[in-house]
Amino acid sequence: MAVVEVADEAKVDPSAKQKPKVNKQFRDRNQIMLARLGWRFTTPALVIVGAITIFPVVFSIVLSLSNVNITGNGFQLQGFTFSNYSLLIHSSEWRYSLGFTVFYTFVSVFIEVVLGTAFAVLMERLSKGRGPMMALLLLPWSIITVISAELWQYVYQGTYGVLQYLINSVGFGKPVILGTPTPAIIAMMAADIWKTTPFVSVIVLAGLVMLPSDVFEAASVDGCTPWQSFWKITFPLLRPTLSIAVLFRILQAFGVFDLPFVLTSGGPGTSTTSLAILGYKVMFDNLQFGPGSAVAVSATLLVLIGCLAFLRAFRTQVNGGDL
Amino acid sequence: MATIEMSNMKKRYPNGADVIRDVSLSIAEGEFMVLVGPSGCGKTTLLRMIAGLEDITGGDLMIGDRRVNDVSPKDRDIAMVFQNYALYPHMSVRDNIGFALKLRKTDDGEIKRKVEEAAELLGLTPYLDTKPRQLSGGQRQRVAMGRAIVREPSVFLMDEPLSNLDAKLRVKMRSEILKIQRRLGVATVYVTHDQTEAMTMGDRVAVLSKGDILQCDTPQNLYDHPVDQFVASFIGSPSINMYSAQLSEGAKFLNIGGESVELTDVAHISHPSLASYANSRITVGIRPEDLELVDKGTPNSITATVELVEALGSELLVHFNTDAKAVVVEGVKDEEETILEASGAGVARIEPRASVKAGDIIGLRPNPAVMHFFDVNTELAIY
Ligand SMILES: Nc1ncnc2c1ncn2[C@@H]1O[C@H](COP(=O)(O)OP(=O)(O)OP(=O)(O)O)[C@@H](O)[C@H]1O
Ligand SMILES: [Mg+2]
Repeated sequence: MAVVEVADEAKVDPSAKQKPKVNKQFRDRNQIMLARLGWRFTTPALVIVGAITIFPVVFSIVLSLSNVNITGNGFQLQGFTFSNYSLLIHSSEWRYSLGFTVFYTFVSVFIEVVLGTAFAVLMERLSKGRGPMMALLLLPWSIITVISAELWQYVYQGTYGVLQYLINSVGFGKPVILGTPTPAIIAMMAADIWKTTPFVSVIVLAGLVMLPSDVFEAASVDGCTPWQSFWKITFPLLRPTLSIAVLFRILQAFGVFDLPFVLTSGGPGTSTTSLAILGYKVMFDNLQFGPGSAVAVSATLLVLIGCLAFLRAFRTQVNGGDL
Repeated sequence: MATIEMSNMKKRYPNGADVIRDVSLSIAEGEFMVLVGPSGCGKTTLLRMIAGLEDITGGDLMIGDRRVNDVSPKDRDIAMVFQNYALYPHMSVRDNIGFALKLRKTDDGEIKRKVEEAAELLGLTPYLDTKPRQLSGGQRQRVAMGRAIVREPSVFLMDEPLSNLDAKLRVKMRSEILKIQRRLGVATVYVTHDQTEAMTMGDRVAVLSKGDILQCDTPQNLYDHPVDQFVASFIGSPSINMYSAQLSEGAKFLNIGGESVELTDVAHISHPSLASYANSRITVGIRPEDLELVDKGTPNSITATVELVEALGSELLVHFNTDAKAVVVEGVKDEEETILEASGAGVARIEPRASVKAGDIIGLRPNPAVMHFFDVNTELAIY
């Protein structure tokens, strides 16, 4: 249903837009025909995308707004309600999860962008061996998160973990890393940063390589030190690239699931329960489909709002409008 | 304020290309030095070496009494106008011009005053708060100029700073640049393709070809006493007519094509070495204004067929063809231009109201006193 609506709207749109230009009627008609042809070609793809993306999204929204009753053979929707959401807002668990997810997202994305940019700047200076270096850097990124999380288990684990052994051998006792809230959160962020810094690096490096070299020459003639040249030229010119990297990372980090799922299952207690973990637990451990969907939908809405706000604040940069 | 002293400067790029071969040149305090030469001869490279943007592979570069071979660009106290502007895309015109001053922690009021003064001079006042991408090529070029002049550095380096301006603005900017340069008294190296610009602006002009300076002298001396065929044909517009010729009866007559021109004593006095070329083949160069329109068959004249007449108001440019063999100097002009010119072609610059038209057969009498002679083998001028 939704698909058809979208298609109809867009079909009307081009002609509506071009109405003022009456003198170019012939071209307009051609364009409309082209647009129609375009829709015809993309419709099959849109239908599939609709079936596998739009349907679950819409269905989640419906679930989150319904009284869901589990029965012997599936579940029933019994009427419209906001109670799932009010349940969330009054639940300290949800509020903690939200706080944790926001904190986790901000801190890890910030560190990743700083480190990633630093790596990119270093790599740009490498005239030789940039390729192998990049391949090496991308290794963590290319490992599926669930697997890399298992690898981090070897580092953080309580009985055979490498880190605990190291800390012990320097004489600081045997800290329980994943079993204590603060170390567990830090450990998880470290694993995330390890994995995604390369991703940021590669994006930023691509941006760096595109910057015009003569501008930097002009800056050096004008008297810039390398440090000034970074902050006054490189950084502002890189802002569109950085914003895109940040946007990608926020979207990913906000939905963090696999790292806490493998490393801590959201514990100890609820200290590493991200919104995604919370939604999963509520839905599939407690079989509360209504509240579970409400967690998912609210998380999606919140990250959407966050991204829109970010885009608005950095609008010119993302469009390259400032250049 | 400082002098620039280049001794035996060389540049070899990592790919093995010797772009600057052996350049020695000294530029006095406050001097306006113009570098001219055909495209690809190494002008930009030489300028970048002075700026410190390109390593110097051999020789010494002194600015003032400091050897700066290994000094970074920011410490050389130079201002440079780049061939492709290199403006900071994210800064307004105002910030572009004031950037260097800001880096020096100049007081804000002072920056504002200087930037606005420069903008006024360059006609950029209405654009002070726009970004470079909203400007035309010519406006960008002026911003690049502005960025250099607010600096008051010890050396100005300018790489074809007027190439994108229209003819009228170019003439105006020429004199503005000169005025600024005179006022600041800063040694300046100015690169250009345009030999009119070179002639009108330079205290001295250095002619560069394939990484070597062929001649460096005042514009008039370059024009009157070129050291070789290359300089002779590069300087002057329209360029000098050069023909293969034969001295006969010792060095009394010069046979050009089928014609014979008597070399008067004046020619021999100003070119004493000509005697040693008695009865041999040489190349003769005659500037377009040194050809006088006469009736066909007049003694000491060359018979020519008029191909095209360009009326410029103040003069006529008569493009003609003769049966003499033209000598084309390699590398001076673009290839297409050379192909267009038939062997034996030439240009004469004559008084505006003469009656000549395409197809006429005319006589052109060269003035022996101001002819140029060149050795056929070395291509060097004979004096
Ligand atoms: N990085 C480089 N590596 C190798 N060769 C180069 C490099 N840069 C320039 N060259 C060569 O050096 C020569 C001189 O270049 P340069 O830019 O100095 O010429 P130019 O005189 O400024 O020409 P134009 O008048 O067209 O600007 C050219 O033949 C060019 O191909
Ligand atoms: Mg150049």
